[in-house]
Amino acid sequence: MKQAEVKSQSRRDFFRKAGLGAGALGATAVTLAAGRGEAAEPVRSASAAGYRETDHVKKYYELAKF
Amino acid sequence: MADDAIAFELSEEDELRVQWYALLARLLGASPDRELLSMLAGLKGNEGELGEAVNALAAAARASDPKTLEEEYFDLFIGVGQGELVPFGSYYLTGFLHEKPLAKLRGDMRLLGIAREESVKEPEDHISALCEMMAGLISGSFGAPADLAEQRRFFDTHVGCWAPRFFEDLQAARNARFYMPVGTIGRLFMAIEAQAFEMAA
Repeated sequence: MKQAEVKSQSRRDFFRKAGLGAGALGATAVTLAAGRGEAAEPVRSASAAGYRETDHVKKYYELAKF
Repeated sequence: MADDAIAFELSEEDELRVQWYALLARLLGASPDRELLSMLAGLKGNEGELGEAVNALAAAARASDPKTLEEEYFDLFIGVGQGELVPFGSYYLTGFLHEKPLAKLRGDMRLLGIAREESVKEPEDHISALCEMMAGLISGSFGAPADLAEQRRFFDTHVGCWAPRFFEDLQAARNARFYMPVGTIGRLFMAIEAQAFEMAA
């Protein structure tokens, strides 16, 4: 295994052991997002404080058709 | 969009990190409404210290109502004149709001392509905003996801240098009942993040 792979594997294990793992939060965070009217965007659930990408970034994504 | 998350192939642990940051951002950005409370009430922690804190949060959610929590949130973070805690990086780092750390953050936000919504009036170094930015950097909701080195740079410069102290204070705050386990969760999560960045280096 390459050095980088070893690192990312041990990082993954570390998070798992730290108790961050699936189960505890998974469903909640998705519902959290849904509660804010963003059901389709589970990974974008963090909109509590109202931050967003700037317009030039948005424009870029429009152009790139993401 | 769910699509770009797939395109970026967010790893399982990064998705979890996004969710923990998102949860902290939500809890610290405003007091929970009924809907959030009922979700939190159903949380079941894993084994270990973090899991215990999650269970404590679930229990606190079951015992709380939005009106009381609004007051608790106000007393803790807003207050008349000043709340029990001042949840801003600049304040923790310099003793004053709107100091150099905020200017530095604004500069980095510009570089990363992150902007504050116009409706938001408070400075950008609010703990909730920073948690949201971490979530966005990991998930790529501000553009392309930041790699670990970039995440770490942002974390070390703007979060890790004061947020652990803030969460400790929150955990111990006189007015914190519901927010006590939030403080514990934040404190533990910050330590996990710091250690994981260390491992990746």
